[in-house]
Amino acid sequence: MKSKPIVMDHFSTIHSSFIVNFTFKNNITILMGDSGTGKTAAFSFIRECMAVNSKILCLNYLDFQKDIKNIISNTEGKLIVIDNADILLDDATRKYISLDDRNQYLIIGRNPKNLFTTKENLFELISKNVGEQTEFTIKEYL
Amino acid sequence: MITIFKNKQDIPENMEYVELNDLFFNQNTVSLIDKRAEMIIGTIDKVKLISKYKICSRFNDVALDIDRLSAGCKTVLNVLYYPDKVFCMKECGNNALEVLYGLEYGNVCSEYALIPFSMESVVVQTKDSKMRISDYEELKEWWDDEK
Repeated sequence: MKSKPIVMDHFSTIHSSFIVNFTFKNNITILMGDSGTGKTAAFSFIRECMAVNSKILCLNYLDFQKDIKNIISNTEGKLIVIDNADILLDDATRKYISLDDRNQYLIIGRNPKNLFTTKENLFELISKNVGEQTEFTIKEYL
Repeated sequence: MITIFKNKQDIPENMEYVELNDLFFNQNTVSLIDKRAEMIIGTIDKVKLISKYKICSRFNDVALDIDRLSAGCKTVLNVLYYPDKVFCMKECGNNALEVLYGLEYGNVCSEYALIPFSMESVVVQTKDSKMRISDYEELKEWWDDEK
């Protein structure tokens, strides 16, 4: 599904020696790829920004007991970042996300079921050393 | 070889099913970590185990608590150290799946197919049957079969 990001085209933050520099091309970005590439580390840096950036909402396995669909449906105008999405999102929540035109999503997981996405929504994390720092970006998943 | 379940209902009653691999690892498996974990951690997460509870970051050589391992790596270690339990395998990337499928024993579950590009033989188990599969296409077919 090709749709322009409705909350932000770009997100960047710094956490000690790490730089996160994400450019979004779609309203739903699925971040997938091998284990151990830094996806959850990037998530933790974005989550840190929740303290000062009201446009960000982060969810992960610590929210396993919560009603995720209810949380999302009561949210508007945010980039919703979901780690551990493959165990957190049920079919009903996935369908809701696919039709949600009030929020933008960064979903960290590998199962695109019921999100009605195409390859244009699939991205992987790239890490690059910049001096003593490590920069995380995203690129289309091949 | 590992045993795969495709429905939670097929898991024998005497076997516990674990969905949250991160949490289970942090609370249980971590205390069992020994030499056997070194190669798995190095292969999947490309980090070095520097002590029982510490790893060396792949990005900046900083010593990190072992809880920073990836969910995929934690899943494989859970399966290795707890062969009497069944673990959700949905958070395994292809690199973790390749190691997982090469384990000598262990139990995993996923409702949808998760097969590494190069696979070893596995045992697939439902309530009514148990059989060995060594072929990618055959395994995918078993997974896609509604029965």
